[in-house]
Amino acid sequence: MDSSGFLKVKNDIKNKLLQQGPLEHCESERKQVFNLLQRTIEDGESNSALLIGPRGSGKTTLVNDALEELCSDKNFASKAVLVHLHGLIHTDDRLALIAATKQMNLDNAVDGKVFGSFAENLAFLLACLRTGNKKTSKSVLFIIEDFDLFCSHHNQTLLYNLFDISQSAQAPICVLGITCRLDVIELLEKRVKSRFSHRQYFLYAGGENAEVDGLNLRMEKIRNLLTINNNKSNIVNNWNKSVSKLCSDKKFRTLNQRLMDIDLNERTLKNVLLTLVSKLKEKSLELKIEDFETELNEFEADEVIEQLHDLSVLELCLLISMKHHIQIYDNQPMNFEMVYTRFVKFANASSHIQNVQRPVVMKAFEHIKHMELIQNITGGSGRLQKEYQMFKLLVTSDQIMESVKGWQGLPTEVSQWAISSLI
Amino acid sequence: MKMLEGLIERFPGRETQIEMLHNLLGDDAAADAIFVHGGPSVGKTSIVKAFLEEKKFKHAVANLIECYSTKILLETILNELTSHRIDPTDPQPVAKCDNLMDFLNNLSNFQLKRAVIVLDKAEQLRNMDFNLLPSFLRLRELSGIPSISVILISEIAFQKFNIKGNVVDPVKLPFPQYSKEEIIAILAMDFDGCSKLLQEHYDDALEVDVNFYLNYLNVFLSTFYRACRDLCELRYMARINFVKYCEPIHRKDCSAADSMALWRHIAPTLKSSLEVLYLRFSGQSGALGAQALELPFYAKYLLIAAYLASYNPAKDDKRLFMKHHGKKTKTMKDVKAKSKVSEQLSTQLGPKPFSFDRLLAIFYAILDDKVGFNNNLLVQVSSLVELQLLTSLSDNYNLDGQKYKCTVNFEFIQTISKMVGFNIRKYLSDFSHI
Repeated sequence: MDSSGFLKVKNDIKNKLLQQGPLEHCESERKQVFNLLQRTIEDGESNSALLIGPRGSGKTTLVNDALEELCSDKNFASKAVLVHLHGLIHTDDRLALIAATKQMNLDNAVDGKVFGSFAENLAFLLACLRTGNKKTSKSVLFIIEDFDLFCSHHNQTLLYNLFDISQSAQAPICVLGITCRLDVIELLEKRVKSRFSHRQYFLYAGGENAEVDGLNLRMEKIRNLLTINNNKSNIVNNWNKSVSKLCSDKKFRTLNQRLMDIDLNERTLKNVLLTLVSKLKEKSLELKIEDFETELNEFEADEVIEQLHDLSVLELCLLISMKHHIQIYDNQPMNFEMVYTRFVKFANASSHIQNVQRPVVMKAFEHIKHMELIQNITGGSGRLQKEYQMFKLLVTSDQIMESVKGWQGLPTEVSQWAISSLI
Repeated sequence: MKMLEGLIERFPGRETQIEMLHNLLGDDAAADAIFVHGGPSVGKTSIVKAFLEEKKFKHAVANLIECYSTKILLETILNELTSHRIDPTDPQPVAKCDNLMDFLNNLSNFQLKRAVIVLDKAEQLRNMDFNLLPSFLRLRELSGIPSISVILISEIAFQKFNIKGNVVDPVKLPFPQYSKEEIIAILAMDFDGCSKLLQEHYDDALEVDVNFYLNYLNVFLSTFYRACRDLCELRYMARINFVKYCEPIHRKDCSAADSMALWRHIAPTLKSSLEVLYLRFSGQSGALGAQALELPFYAKYLLIAAYLASYNPAKDDKRLFMKHHGKKTKTMKDVKAKSKVSEQLSTQLGPKPFSFDRLLAIFYAILDDKVGFNNNLLVQVSSLVELQLLTSLSDNYNLDGQKYKCTVNFEFIQTISKMVGFNIRKYLSDFSHI
């Protein structure tokens, strides 16, 4: 086993995990989307549709897959223009229009022109593409990712205009929105909604029968993700063998069920696998179940408790004092003075905690605030001194108790105080 | 591997993190988004920076505190990625970007091969444009550049980033706080600097060795570790106290081997410097601050009067300040007031506003000698406001019925009262019944 071979295999697996996988179990949806796009291109029919599904269910992959097939037609460029818009990038309609102009290669035509309204501008763009009759004009495919973000644009001008054109058959366009929000139709204004064709395709993570045998599908997915096919060397064969052994292991299945009970998202699985594969050493090119379990435990661990372990004893004491406060006063807010008085009472009674100066305690308090373990609820805090601003605790008392339990080298007095507020 | 060993030596106690960073970013298939989190001064930024420099990756580090707006942030990233030097006479960025669209266009124009974008203090992203945080987490997908990675560095947990649910989970890389042994190991690296410091202070070179310094660190941490785990602060404190620790050796009072004598000598010093932790001044605490402030006699009384007005309810004024207020019958209410819990004391809830008339009335009530009401007195009130010991609550145009609040704390006012020989506890309704 030479090291370059090992590195190459590791890279291959990682690349496979990082890239979008191939399309799975949504053949019928893909066919429908493909037909819709094709009808716009070939027949000059105007359409609008929405593709809805949770994150990681393969919406973008599906569209890209369909587009790839359409683009492989060598006449595609002469028949249609593709415009990609993304809700995160094109945050207002002006930007979206600039991007659309650029992607339609109409920069020169628009240059220097002044338009009265948004609709006029868009109409001009489309008119530019139309030459002659319906048969010869170019059709435009608008692929709108994160469609829900476009709904928050002022007056939904872009959506209104696009749907209006698609409905009134001015020019052949197809508007395909991709979103993960199921309530997206409710976000549309009435006048926009009435122009939309209400054609919606739903995708489900793991296909339609995910409920029935989700675990089997998941195991199949892991096998597909980890197996390497392009290379038939010795290392790869060993690796593939170890993967199939892993996937048939019963304990591994239980662990995966545990992961799926928390999070169905494929991205989570990929992140876990990616960290595991990254950690692989040259000596043992094999995924171990124990490693997977450790990683899973880490994933399940509460970040806040980890954060609490990083505090100093003084800061933990302040948190315990806050915990007592909310237990005694039934979740009433507190200020620094109250926390400080309670802490000083404890510090005076105990022999181990040195009594520190008030400004030092204040600094510790501010550190807790900075870590967002407590939140200021005094509105317009500018006038009030910081000792008297009211706070609420964002950590539950269970979390505090949990971290006190797991804390190494904590003075016994503190852990006793955490259990009972009596000193 | 050789380079990793160098890094691990430079940063003790961070072996797992450095290896993980190498595993995730080291080879061609790099993770697209990494979230580095951990408390203050655990080496997050310096390790990430050192790693990227060692690897000679093209990278841009942007601190979100410095780059507080979208435009500045995006232009800074582009400048650093293209190693663009800003000419001071004509400060132009390499490309103008007002929004993310321009940024992505420019990014694809540069044809970067392998690039890493580091965003320090990433929690600030939540308060900026809504699209920045989700976009940076999916930058590889949005930009279409297959070898770009983003590292977010933050002090708070990722679950507090999930504002609107449209955030993709990055790979998380926790940096836990150093243990006591690791802190000693890191502080021991400071030995050279400390022995140089000794030479500056005591002209004849004091011969100290590393073991002596390690003994000192053990003594030092036994006092400080519970109150503070912030490495920067500990290092600063260790430095300034080391000189004092060596003082008896310099005076030839005891030998370097006599650790008990040294401990007896340093213990009070360490204790007093624990009191000024984080404060960065030597030997002056809050109560002394009140002494340092030299107020005129009447101004002191005015301040006391203001404190009393802020922390006493107006209905108690008659009882507290008048000589013949008649006999007060005990009511159920008073009995309850005596058993008040500390959380309801007005000294705990903060100052209440009071009117100027009430301030003057209390002032004359607590002052033994008679003083005429004149301009000089009025000026003192405004100078107290100027010194921010009082705050004025109404605007300056309203001459009648000005409202004030007293902003000093109880320790401060106690020191002031002691200076003029006034017993403030007697006149505070929180304490007067005791």
